[in-house]
Amino acid sequence: MKFNIPASWYEAVDKFDEGVTVGAGGLAGHASPELAAQHAHVGRDDGRIAFYQFVTLARRGRGMSVEELASEADIDLGELLAMEQHDSHFIPDTRSVYQLANVFSVSRPKLMALAGLTRPKDDDVIGEAMKFAARSVSVQTLSDAERAILEGYVSLLNEKAKLGGD
Amino acid sequence: MSFLSTVFLKRGDSGEKVVAELCDAIEPVDIIDWATHWLPARDQCLNILQAANAPPEAYPQSAHWNWMDKTRSMQGLLALQGLSIRCEGRTQGLMRIDLASEQCQLESQRSQPMVYVDYIEIAPWNWIGPYFNPPRFRWAGQILLRAAVEISLDQAFKGRIGLHSLPQASSFYRRCGLTDCGPDPNYPRNLPYFEATPEQAMAFLNQGGSK
Repeated sequence: MKFNIPASWYEAVDKFDEGVTVGAGGLAGHASPELAAQHAHVGRDDGRIAFYQFVTLARRGRGMSVEELASEADIDLGELLAMEQHDSHFIPDTRSVYQLANVFSVSRPKLMALAGLTRPKDDDVIGEAMKFAARSVSVQTLSDAERAILEGYVSLLNEKAKLGGD
Repeated sequence: MSFLSTVFLKRGDSGEKVVAELCDAIEPVDIIDWATHWLPARDQCLNILQAANAPPEAYPQSAHWNWMDKTRSMQGLLALQGLSIRCEGRTQGLMRIDLASEQCQLESQRSQPMVYVDYIEIAPWNWIGPYFNPPRFRWAGQILLRAAVEISLDQAFKGRIGLHSLPQASSFYRRCGLTDCGPDPNYPRNLPYFEATPEQAMAFLNQGGSK
């Protein structure tokens, strides 16, 4: 649905949000320092999105089809398809992530952490990987920009691995 | 397929109007933005408040929301729709509405269909508080609420909308002209319930003499 808001409307409602909070929906509990600490983890398990993004970019960067990657990595085609649909509910198999790390020549422990299968030693890996994911777009061919993002992923995963002694 | 509409936000420091886009969906780019930018900014807010020993009422009441879960739970449900506002490469506000599950509570329109605003939140850097002062952008809340009213009209609900406000946000919905129905005993933590009649909805849309 398209929206067409008249210019005069903005000025007329200008004061409505001045100095006040905007928000509606569930209130989990009384806001407090304790609650803040409790909620500090929210969203921290979402590196898996970056993992799936990486798999897609890395596959396309190598000019491989999903079937070809499944064959080379010796993993189930259905599982790889689930990853490529970027469903963060789907939890990849440990062996599959291990195999993909081998095919893409990146740190196995770091890729495991990104996939949410192990607890990362360094939270920055997840955060940095998510930034790469955020810069990516879904297109059929790998553009120069996407290739740069992929190279960033690989560099991050391997550089951090070296620093961490993986 | 989602549609983009051009809207304007107001820069909090200079007051300059800035072109933004209103999307009638929450897309992966918004969720990634939430995870990569909203969460760190939210943590920054919480750290500042903790360091200052701020009282509980100073804490943002939407800090625990997980938009990834909220968006996930919409999948396959036609009654639920997301909307987002983006400006300068960042998602500035998100809203989830329900077109089917809730009915009006006001006596004058009891049991009539309406658009229920499940969740509405603006980016942490647009929050009011000691953390980002002034907020980077304003108007995202008004625009999202207007979108809910327009969708209500499109659904032949005559502009009727309803929502449970965070206690910190009640004055915003009063300013927008919604009826404050008070604490809802049937809602968790008795959040204040607000509802707009067709007349109130049209008055909101016609602010500034528009339409």
